[in-house]
Amino acid sequence: MSGWESYYKNEGDEEEEQEEGLEAGGDYSYSGRDSLIFLVDASRAMFESQDEDELTPFDMSIQCIRSVYTNKIISSNRDLLAVVFYGTKKDKNSVNFKNIYVLQELDNPGVKRVQELDKFKGQEGKKYFEDQIGHGSDYSLSEVLWVCANLFSDVQFKMSHKRIMLFTNEDDPHGDDSAKASRARTKAGDLRDTGIFLDLMHLKKRGGFDTSLFYRDVIIAENEDIGIHFEESSKLEDLLRKVRAKETRKRVLSRLKLKLNKDVTLTVGIYNMVQKAYRPPPVRLYRETNEPVKTKTRTFNVNTGSLLLPSDTKRSQTYSHRQIVLEKEETEELKRFDEPGFILIGFKPLMMLKKHHYLRHSLFVYPEESLINGSSTLFSALLTKCLEKEVMAVCRYTPRRNSPPCFVALVPQEEELDDQKIQVAPPARQGPLSVGLSRQEHWSGLPCPPPGDLPDPGDLTHISCISGFQLVFLPYADDKRKVPFTEKVMANPEQVDKMKAIVQKLRFKYRSDSFENPVLQQHFRNMEALALDLMEPEQAVDLTLPKTEVMDKRLGSLVDEFKELVYPPDYNPEGKVTKRKKDDESYGSKRPKVELSEEELKAHVSKGTLGKLTVPALKEACRMYGLKGGLKKQELLDVLTEHFQKA
Amino acid sequence: MARSWDKAAVVLCMDVGLAMSNSFPGEESPFELAKKVMTMFVQRQVFAENKDEVALVLFGTDGTKNALAAGDQYQNITVHRHLMRPDFDLLEDIESKIQPGSQQADLLDALIVCMDLIQEETLGKKFEKRHIEVFTDLSSPFSRDQLDIIIHNLKKSGISLQFFLPFPIGKQGGTGDRGDGSLLSDHHGPSFPPKGITEQQKEGIQMVKKVMMSLEGEDGLEEIYSFSEALRQLCVFKKTERRSMPWSCQLTIGSNLSIKIVAYKSITQEKVKKCWTVVDARTLKKEAIQKETVYCLNDDDETEVSKEDTIQGFRYGSDIIPFSKVDEEQMKYKSEGKCFSVLGFCRSSQVHMKYFMGNQVLKVFAAKDDEAAAVALSSLIHALDELDMVAVVRYVYNEKTNPQVGVAFPLIKDAYECLVYIQLPFMEDLRQYMFPSLKNNRKCTPTEAQLSAVDALIDSMSLVQKDEEEGTIEDLFPTSKIPNPQFQRLFQCLLHRALHPQEPLPPIQQHILSMLDPPTEVTAKCQVPLSKIKTLFPLTEVIKKKNQVTGQDIFQDNHEEGPTCKKLKTEEEEAHFSVSSLAEGSVTCVGSVNPAENFRVLVRQKKATFEEASHQLINHIEQFLDTNETLYFMKSMDCIKAFREEAIQFSEEQRFNNFLKALREKVEVKQLNHFWEIVVHDGVTLITKDEAPGSSVTTEEAKKFLAPKENANADSAAAFEEGGDVDDLLELI
Repeated sequence: MSGWESYYKNEGDEEEEQEEGLEAGGDYSYSGRDSLIFLVDASRAMFESQDEDELTPFDMSIQCIRSVYTNKIISSNRDLLAVVFYGTKKDKNSVNFKNIYVLQELDNPGVKRVQELDKFKGQEGKKYFEDQIGHGSDYSLSEVLWVCANLFSDVQFKMSHKRIMLFTNEDDPHGDDSAKASRARTKAGDLRDTGIFLDLMHLKKRGGFDTSLFYRDVIIAENEDIGIHFEESSKLEDLLRKVRAKETRKRVLSRLKLKLNKDVTLTVGIYNMVQKAYRPPPVRLYRETNEPVKTKTRTFNVNTGSLLLPSDTKRSQTYSHRQIVLEKEETEELKRFDEPGFILIGFKPLMMLKKHHYLRHSLFVYPEESLINGSSTLFSALLTKCLEKEVMAVCRYTPRRNSPPCFVALVPQEEELDDQKIQVAPPARQGPLSVGLSRQEHWSGLPCPPPGDLPDPGDLTHISCISGFQLVFLPYADDKRKVPFTEKVMANPEQVDKMKAIVQKLRFKYRSDSFENPVLQQHFRNMEALALDLMEPEQAVDLTLPKTEVMDKRLGSLVDEFKELVYPPDYNPEGKVTKRKKDDESYGSKRPKVELSEEELKAHVSKGTLGKLTVPALKEACRMYGLKGGLKKQELLDVLTEHFQKA
Repeated sequence: MARSWDKAAVVLCMDVGLAMSNSFPGEESPFELAKKVMTMFVQRQVFAENKDEVALVLFGTDGTKNALAAGDQYQNITVHRHLMRPDFDLLEDIESKIQPGSQQADLLDALIVCMDLIQEETLGKKFEKRHIEVFTDLSSPFSRDQLDIIIHNLKKSGISLQFFLPFPIGKQGGTGDRGDGSLLSDHHGPSFPPKGITEQQKEGIQMVKKVMMSLEGEDGLEEIYSFSEALRQLCVFKKTERRSMPWSCQLTIGSNLSIKIVAYKSITQEKVKKCWTVVDARTLKKEAIQKETVYCLNDDDETEVSKEDTIQGFRYGSDIIPFSKVDEEQMKYKSEGKCFSVLGFCRSSQVHMKYFMGNQVLKVFAAKDDEAAAVALSSLIHALDELDMVAVVRYVYNEKTNPQVGVAFPLIKDAYECLVYIQLPFMEDLRQYMFPSLKNNRKCTPTEAQLSAVDALIDSMSLVQKDEEEGTIEDLFPTSKIPNPQFQRLFQCLLHRALHPQEPLPPIQQHILSMLDPPTEVTAKCQVPLSKIKTLFPLTEVIKKKNQVTGQDIFQDNHEEGPTCKKLKTEEEEAHFSVSSLAEGSVTCVGSVNPAENFRVLVRQKKATFEEASHQLINHIEQFLDTNETLYFMKSMDCIKAFREEAIQFSEEQRFNNFLKALREKVEVKQLNHFWEIVVHDGVTLITKDEAPGSSVTTEEAKKFLAPKENANADSAAAFEEGGDVDDLLELI
């Protein structure tokens, strides 16, 4: 099984994680930290709900902010967040403006901050707010923005992105004071000039929120966000979606040239829309003080003890007893074929894209004007025509210098494509479709909608379906493996029909954000428990487990009917399992007792058949001669071969 | 566990006879080409470090050396190397030791020698495959008498054959219907009939066809390659493919329905297997190098602490939480062992390809030799296919790995049917970015003319050929048939360095480069549409302002590295001036947030005249003072100081002095004594002629300018004397 495992093991594969990590972390270091201020209107109107069971706008804002906090802890804990209330009775800010209360300055999100936010939740939260801070009678929005600007300028780190999200349900804050209103407008303009984005997260107001009264002039939508939301949010989910979409800034993975030929070149940006989220790497702490320690790695010469510079080393590989040595630069250079970018090869019909020829997760391509003017127009023309002719562009893609080329398909993607398709054929929504997927309140305390119960989420699909090209990686011949397939035995129509009935019973609507990673969730819950000194960590609900009870109930007698049609009476589909288990148990007790004589080893080395030995045997041999090998078979082989060649 | 199933015995049987060295002018001889193909093959074997064994038999040699040679039998056939693991010696031999012979030898005799060699030398060893690769131009005469016996014996002993010829042979039934092998058809090379073919060669072709047909039927012809085909498609060699190990499990639907399945990895990114070892540059030994990791405290002395004194912790936002490995192991999520359970079914359109994740594709079949399971899985496959639905499943490889959620969709082929499993993202893995719509953006809407130019381009660059009659589509550029050039390049460099340690690395082989380029007919056809696009779409490179170069650009383009780095450095050296403000590059006027900074940027980048910028600045200062609040006083002070410094820089001292004088007047009128105290305290006075030659103010006068006037407010003076510190003043207010 050793071979299988080494091919197959994908989780916890350290090397891979690192590689991915580099890719993901790479762009971070370039661009500094994102910073985001939640600016929450705390005047009395925000605490009034229209319905008994409806969340107050203030409560909704707080829950939404909390959710962003906990998400940031998981996804990007270097980002800076702050919470500012305005329209308060008390004030707390560096410039002593009235009616402005800075609850949290810009800093990384942490446990204490989340706990502090929790105090403002629900009815108790309302009371807590009134006791601690209280509602004020007046405020000046320009002062509020001033305070926010100060928060940004007090930060020592390099910031890549500054954003303020304004949560309010007052559409005309300075209706009676035109001077104040005009000052607010000026201030907002100033913020824009200094690269601070201001977003309005307007909440439900009796009689509707009219952006034209005041905010339209204050919040001049960034060019890129035209038409994304003019609807006020009356539900927490809506607000969350709105906030989430804004809260992460697009990070361009790279900006590259797309060459149609030598003369015609446009530039595109590459974006990552899916990226495996990993548990953050552990930090080393000093036992006495729990402070983080710095790690330094030194390379030195064993004989002289002197530190080695990179130029004092070379790279080597050994094949059949022969050592081949290259300079480090040469090992990089031999991977170089093209300059980074895309080279257009041609076009193929979309239907030739094979779903099962998946190699690695796709990326998103969008035009980039910053390097070549006019790129968008050509891009747009290509996109329009590719969609119309149902073709994809095949390109040779070199992501970085010194990376070998790969072939990719640029698949045109139309805006709201999915949305329409779904609407054309709405899924049968029977009952509370909770095939194991109904999410109860998950740990951030948010009641998340069970998939399938959502009214067609125009907003969300809208976000996930943007016009541009999807970059699909195409496998090389080497990436495909020959699979020894099982003989085809066809089921008869009756059997197929029975299975169809089963499938229909277990329908649900898939949404890409339906499942949380139970491993990550458990990890962060453990962290939370330790941070808060809880006795027991809260157990994460594992959404990846099938809800067998619900399923069984839905299926009823169908399963038995199907089995009767398909399985012979004495057939046991669970067979052999017990045997395997035994194997597994005895596996641990099996210790290699292979001892090889020196002659045998030498014979293997000279014949080049050392590779026939098992890893435990090789390890044993290494131990016998006091050799230090790695864990990989190849490393062990190298060490042994080298040893005997010297001898 | 010895894996005998992927071990093969291969005999390379090469014609080195007289005619092999003949070539048309400007072309490589069959002899050289054959050597190239063999090198490529052996090189792959050496670097793949598999357990195959390779022998080399030459025919047409001047001498004779083989086990069957007796009398005039089996002459001019040399067993150059017996069956053993291929190594660099063999590669060296192929490169330099093999010389063209001056004789001719019977190809069929050579085949018999090869068969004999395989028989003899594989005795008692386990080989899954036995194989003979023949490289010849078929120009030597042969005797047919033993042909049938040879074919019979090949069949009996399970030896397969492949032929490599200098020319492509006509393959019946055309080249289009090769199913998935259409790259084999020679789009680049000469087409049948090959030029200058002799009668003897024609006879040879007939014989080779007959042999292959009788061995493998129609498919046998697929195993006859031209050298150029072989070079272009390095994976034609049979035995280099890797096979997947089976993973058996049960597919479960609910608690009561399970189907025995077995899954194989069908696609995964093949990586270079061996990694580079770091060795000492002089001794070339890796033992000479040691890496040491030390931990030190984050204090001034960087006090080292031993590894034992450190513990593991994790970041939780801004907090760092100590968390030992033991605790982690105990508290972490545990999956309950291998699993392939259906969570539910949904429409296939809901699981878009863009969500596919992970690094592998699994093909899921019913367990081997289990007809009941096969029927059960087949029902599922066809049910999903007919309903256009997919299964969403939880997949766990084993108890040590993390669970995944993925999609399983049906794949139905002529020969087999299966489910294909691909991982899907978790909520945490998604990034929801928004982009402006391209559709409704007037700025980038293409004109009709532009659109039709692109239309023409797409037509001219089509990579498929439609056969109207048969209704088939031929792929002219099947990327999944192209071997990863990275490996070939690595092997080429390694081999070159092994054989010629002192020489620099060779350039990339031409046939590898051409393999990556579009078919020539496509490049030819698209010239006209492309030049039309060039004229219709204005594309202008943005002249980059140096200060907007991001780190990424620097790393991407080494040519620019030098100058930009320097540029950044000089910027850092300048005081009071942050690089970030420059980088933002969007300052067009003096705003109220950072007026001093904006002012500096404007005047230094010459985006506004000094007069204009200072006007804006003065306006802000006045606004600030009108608030009569200390914070604004401080801000005003910053502005005034910036104004003063820049004025000296740009020889605009007169402008500043006038301003300051006017300011003093205003302060008196508006009773802003507090503010003036700050000015006095900070010693901001007129620019003297010591500071700037254009000024007429003496140091004395400057001092006097700040001195309190006779009628100065006594209170404020008292306050000043008492405290003498700005902070005190602030507190007083």
